[in-house]
Amino acid sequence: MSEIKKIIKGCLAGNRRDQELLYRRHASKLYAVCLQYSGNDEEARDILQEGFIKIFENLDNYKHEGSFEGWMRRITVNTALEKFRSRHNLYRVDDIDMIQEPDPEPDNQDYAGLEANDLIEIIRELPTKYRMVFNLYAIEGYSHKEISKMVNISEGTSKSNLSRARVILQRRVGSYTGIKKKVANE
Amino acid sequence: MNEKGANIDLLFRNGLKDYEVLPPPGVWDGIQPAVKAKSRPVILLRVAAVVTVLVTLSLLTYRWSRELSDTNAGTEMAFNIPASDPLVFNPIESHEFSPSEKSNPVKTYSDILTEKAEPVSIQPEIRSSSFSEQILYVEGASKLSITNRESVRGPRLTSLNTPGSTQTKVKYADLQYFQENYVTKPKNRWSIAAMASPTYYSSFNSGSNELSKELSSSEQSIISYSGGLAFAYKISKRFSIQSGLYYSSLGQRVDGINSFSGFKPYDITKGDHNFEVLTTTGTVYTNNPDVFLSANGSDRILTAYTNDVFDPNKASLQPVNNSLSQNFSYLELPVVLKYKIVDKTIGINLIGGLSYNLLVSNSVSTTVDGNRYSIGTTHGLNPLTLSSSLGMGMEYNLSGKLSLNLEPTFRYYLNPFSPTTGSYVHPYSFGIFSGVSYKF
Repeated sequence: MSEIKKIIKGCLAGNRRDQELLYRRHASKLYAVCLQYSGNDEEARDILQEGFIKIFENLDNYKHEGSFEGWMRRITVNTALEKFRSRHNLYRVDDIDMIQEPDPEPDNQDYAGLEANDLIEIIRELPTKYRMVFNLYAIEGYSHKEISKMVNISEGTSKSNLSRARVILQRRVGSYTGIKKKVANE
Repeated sequence: MNEKGANIDLLFRNGLKDYEVLPPPGVWDGIQPAVKAKSRPVILLRVAAVVTVLVTLSLLTYRWSRELSDTNAGTEMAFNIPASDPLVFNPIESHEFSPSEKSNPVKTYSDILTEKAEPVSIQPEIRSSSFSEQILYVEGASKLSITNRESVRGPRLTSLNTPGSTQTKVKYADLQYFQENYVTKPKNRWSIAAMASPTYYSSFNSGSNELSKELSSSEQSIISYSGGLAFAYKISKRFSIQSGLYYSSLGQRVDGINSFSGFKPYDITKGDHNFEVLTTTGTVYTNNPDVFLSANGSDRILTAYTNDVFDPNKASLQPVNNSLSQNFSYLELPVVLKYKIVDKTIGINLIGGLSYNLLVSNSVSTTVDGNRYSIGTTHGLNPLTLSSSLGMGMEYNLSGKLSLNLEPTFRYYLNPFSPTTGSYVHPYSFGIFSGVSYKF
């Protein structure tokens, strides 16, 4: 039996050591996902906490098919989406996103020197709805059809949000890269 | 549009692929209670069931002992019996009884006991009958008879009021029994005892979990102690109920944990603790910023300062010890039922009951050159635990009131010290309590 299977078995039996071990081993990766989907550290912390509670509650549904890490990541992303939906259910996301955005500029910039910390900072500066769509499409690999159901928007809005997110990101990345180069030259 | 944005998508996808950030401390503390709540009802139900069974058994035993005591007494007063129809016990042997005055009002047994003519004064009034048999005589009781409870309802009742007779005649089967059970019974029902014991502490590990077994195998019991005052009340001749207040100190040694001092200059984290050590009784959190802990080839230490991040040897930290000591102190409130098997000069009691244990202190330390080096505390301990105890008490009566006691007692903790440990690790302890008791 692999180690992760033993830990999962221990968690299912209510063993605290295994529960804590599972948390310690995967919390760092999942917290990075939470930071990516949240606007601030407090929100990220809440998503991580709620996500892990769901992971433990649904552990008996994991059938050991596919990556366990991927399974935990999906739960964490869904938790972030639930938080997003609960905060944005007072108004329709579609109604405020129908402004036609220009296509992003041809992307042939040199992004050398950007680190993961910088990318997280940049992505978190996006408006929430753009951040959600960009993460789901560009990082997780969902289609616009799937995103429209997950975020409760139309496919057109999903595409529009992605486009606007890319424009903003390109500009921010450009300015970040410029600043970095300037600092390096100095 | 997609192609134009593909580069930026790839930048983020690849850049964040294996990104990891240590979450802030305290997140696990928020997850832990929600996760453990799942298994809690089972433990609570078990504890509730055990408590219910023990309380029921205690009540039944108490009731049974009272009934047994009443039945064995064999004699009791029958009250408010009309003078015209006094009731008497009708054994094969009969005894006659003659009060000096027939006109006095009816008196209850308690009246008799509290009056001048108390039970003790009954004895001198006993007269010998013409048949050289003992007769009970209570001064001033014209309508009093002593009879068996059954005989009040049964057909064996006989009126001794013969025509023309002004005397009420009472029959009494066994005066000696009456004296033992009613005259001397109230004496020495209470006792107070001072007891102390060295205690051996360990735990049952019934789970098949590898980690739990690994943790248990590296933990050794430390001889501990327990002591306090106990009060006992004698319910009947055989049964007594005991309570009191005990202070007990338990502990265990955790081997395979290397501790170093001098880590403070390298401590760059803002968290409240740098190291967590998994043990069967809970997780040890360090609160000494100067200490560095490592466990070779084991997952039991959780820290951001792993071997690949920080090497204590390269940093020239001072080795302290290779084991930790966990110490727990409890205030115990036992509720114990004692059954006297042998009631002689050396009495033997069977002892069983429950004890509520309140955690009053917990510490983790190690020793260096005979001095105590503080490490931290054990986190997540249950502040209130319930334990069951079973023992055999020996009592040597030095005098009527003073006795020496020796009570080997086994104690099993119904819920673990750490509430989130699950049902795998259940501590137990064994102690031989000795002390002196005084009856009053």
